[in-house]
Amino acid sequence: MAQSWKDNYVLSLISTGALAWLVPGGGHFILNERKRAVVIFVAIVLTFLVGIYVGSIGVIDPVNAKPWYAAQVMNSPVVMLLGRIGATGNYRVYGRANEIGQIYTSIGGLLNLLCIVNAVYLAHLRSIEESQA
Amino acid sequence: MMTVFAIVLGGFAMPMRINTDPTSVLWLLPLVVSISVVYKATKVYKIQAWPFTKESAVLFGSIVVFILVAAIILFSITWIVTEQLPPLLDKSAF
Repeated sequence: MAQSWKDNYVLSLISTGALAWLVPGGGHFILNERKRAVVIFVAIVLTFLVGIYVGSIGVIDPVNAKPWYAAQVMNSPVVMLLGRIGATGNYRVYGRANEIGQIYTSIGGLLNLLCIVNAVYLAHLRSIEESQA
Repeated sequence: MMTVFAIVLGGFAMPMRINTDPTSVLWLLPLVVSISVVYKATKVYKIQAWPFTKESAVLFGSIVVFILVAAIILFSITWIVTEQLPPLLDKSAF
């Protein structure tokens, strides 16, 4: 019984974290924090979209801008797909627009990382509350 | 409708033209709004429109004021080092 609870506990933390990474705000959504999830989704997706609109898809560069890419990928796994499209296509990116685009998309990713950690922590608190009840 | 969609989609394939003048610094403001909103969304106990907006606005103001203070201090240091120190060093008795 204790083993089963522990398995469920670990599984719930992993699934919450994975969903929060898959869709910004998804982790909070399955924890019934709907308003919080909507606010997080809108803010992070808008930040990311503004970033790639300003700098073009070329700002997602898994080859020449690895540190930025590491932060960008925290937005969602979809960024990996965009990175492949950016690498195969000939998307021009340069100057101040490139800097601003990279900053926006990377900050969006780091904000989502904050939300992933927060969702996992909330799931942890909920599990403890349920086990004590 | 399709034309508008194509224009918007095309915008993601070409970078915007942004000059390297002081006004480009204003691009930090939407980013600070986003940071404030997401940070407060993870911190407040319950999301209610007015208290949440107020707390986000306070955080936004705090970040902007801190950036302004940091900018003034850095500008002052640069001004002293580049404008004030060279004439003083030229007049030195050594």
